Amino acid sequence: VYVLGRIRDALLCSVAADIISTVEFNSTGELLATGDKGGRVVVFQREQESKNQPHRRGEYNVYSTFQSHEPEFDYLKSLEIEEKINKIRWLPQQNAAYFLLSTNDKTVKLWKISERDKRPEGYNLKDEDGRIRDPATITTLRVPVVRPMDLMVEATPRRVFSNAHTYHINSISVNSDYETFMSTDDLRINLWNLEITNRSFNIVDIKPANMEELTEVITAAEFHPHQCNTFVYSSSKGSIRLCDMRASALCDNHSKFFEEPEDPSNRSFFSEIISSISDVKFSHSGRYLMTRDYLTVKVWDLNMESQPLETYQVHDYLRSKLCSLYENDCIFDKFECVWNGSDSVIMTGSYNNFFRMFDRNTKRDVTLEASRENSKPRAILKPRKVCVGGKRRKDEISVDSLDFSKKILHTAWHPYENIIAVAATNNLYIFQDKVN
Amino acid sequence: MEYKVEAHRIMSISLGKIYNSRVQRGGIKLHKNLLVSLVLRSARQVYLSDYYSGACLNAAQSEREANEWDITDSEREKFPSSTTECDRVESPEEPQQTERPEKEHEHRENDDDLKSDQVDCTSTLQQEQNQNSLDSVANVSSETPPETIKEPKESPSESAVAERDSTPEANGESHQPPKTHVCSNRKRSAEETESGDSPQKRIKVASSDAEGDEEAEEMDTSNVSNLITIFGSSFSGLLSKDGAKPESETEDSGQICCDQMLKNLNPWSTAIVAF
Repeated sequence: VYVLGRIRDALLCSVAADIISTVEFNSTGELLATGDKGGRVVVFQREQESKNQPHRRGEYNVYSTFQSHEPEFDYLKSLEIEEKINKIRWLPQQNAAYFLLSTNDKTVKLWKISERDKRPEGYNLKDEDGRIRDPATITTLRVPVVRPMDLMVEATPRRVFSNAHTYHINSISVNSDYETFMSTDDLRINLWNLEITNRSFNIVDIKPANMEELTEVITAAEFHPHQCNTFVYSSSKGSIRLCDMRASALCDNHSKFFEEPEDPSNRSFFSEIISSISDVKFSHSGRYLMTRDYLTVKVWDLNMESQPLETYQVHDYLRSKLCSLYENDCIFDKFECVWNGSDSVIMTGSYNNFFRMFDRNTKRDVTLEASRENSKPRAILKPRKVCVGGKRRKDEISVDSLDFSKKILHTAWHPYENIIAVAATNNLYIFQDKVN
Repeated sequence: MEYKVEAHRIMSISLGKIYNSRVQRGGIKLHKNLLVSLVLRSARQVYLSDYYSGACLNAAQSEREANEWDITDSEREKFPSSTTECDRVESPEEPQQTERPEKEHEHRENDDDLKSDQVDCTSTLQQEQNQNSLDSVANVSSETPPETIKEPKESPSESAVAERDSTPEANGESHQPPKTHVCSNRKRSAEETESGDSPQKRIKVASSDAEGDEEAEEMDTSNVSNLITIFGSSFSGLLSKDGAKPESETEDSGQICCDQMLKNLNPWSTAIVAF
């Protein structure tokens, strides 16, 4: 039985060299990948359960580290292309190797992560160090044999999908057909075949003929988890469009349009910014959509376009602080949101290293903090509370004391179990719910 | 009044962000700049709606008062558009004769500077519009304003003609170009003179030069055309959005003045009307 706020074991608290920019479990939850601002990918693997050390069940250890993207320079536009990894998406596992897609602003790469625990020894033409032997010294012929070696995990780039995006890529999504994927930038969505790198198909293009007429950009996109012809994309205006690729080659015309009318009483200078959707995720069931804007998380029923099914306030106390948040750029922070395996709980991040969980069934919510103090083994994660006014109780924290430089933008939830990964700047926390 | 100051502050901050985006690693971020430009537009609407309803009636008085404010020629150069803007906003009906010679003088002085900028502007226009327009924003902000006034120098008469051709827009939008322009000039002044002058002082300074309607608008349009190039994206879009949801609270007198100004805007600048 999963109860919000119960004991959390810290399975891992890892410090990255750089700010973590994306976190993603693979489809079995065995692997967890993180990408950072420096273009590196670190993959963690869950320890197998061991009878000898049952309490260490499920810890995550570093499995592979590699440099996915390097900074590049676009000579034509005199622009530097950041190496920051914007998104990582795993491919479903089909053999012993693992495959993931990682992307920066311009280029998507397919990486193969494989293990090597044997190697051939006894070559004739080169010695064990790899140096070429002098042929004159070779007097006998031997057959190389395969010997076990220390496990080595190597990552190799298998495909590079480049030169297809004028604007900055914000999303990638693998299709349920496991043959195609899409990459999304501010104005266009392209469809690729995983095997073909020199060609992609444009399926959405919202660039106006006259750029002066631009009013909205695409902020995120995702394929439906089961229907390989369906995908959604969200916009900076707070709307979501569902498209069916069977309808036409270019999906500029949506099949469904999800938008909630704006509440006029909440209108301010920053209404447009806070309604911009920063993340969109299908539920595992494929029946629901979740969207994140600056202050709320919304759950939509695919069958109801007029308004969301549920709206959850993440940190509504920030509504009166929007001007300051605009000044310090925090209002542009793009928070992600995730479903748990059964689609009953949703999670998203906030400031001060807080992250929030909402139970859709019980309507209860909890605020937790990702911090060192909470990361000792078997530490109980204490629910936190932000005091919005009036008297502040002992354990509460006032809005003005929140540290806005400590933001949790990226979180991930294990596909089956109650294990969560939370990225807090340079730190990665993995917590599990311990059921007693 | 407080929200007028607030609106102005937000406008300044927004322009600063657009400028800084130019020097950020990874290139200009379209999404963020679009959002910033929307905020800029909203702030300007508020600023103008309040400003206009009160100011139009007081325009004449405040100008006379402001005449005592002695601004140097160099400062005047820096704020040619603000001058024109304020003219337009405050006294659309006043004579404009003195304005033109002054502006022409400025432009002649800055001939050489403008030439280099012309090249710059031309080349940027050919590239991705949004990106380069945003680039130019930075140019506007960082360089002295006279350098950016390319078009007026080249063909003030053309722009005057162009203005006549413009289609009038919704009232709310008429406020927009002048205000943004004033703000950008104020921003430039803030950067260059590093003075502690309040924005309101600048407005009054500008208004002290309050001259003609037509002339001012010509220069305005030209300068503003540059701003279009600079800002590039999201102008007409903002425009249409304005049309859809008019929020202006201008009184009738204000609207009449707006109409007059609007008639003189050329189509090229209507895009920037959003600002």
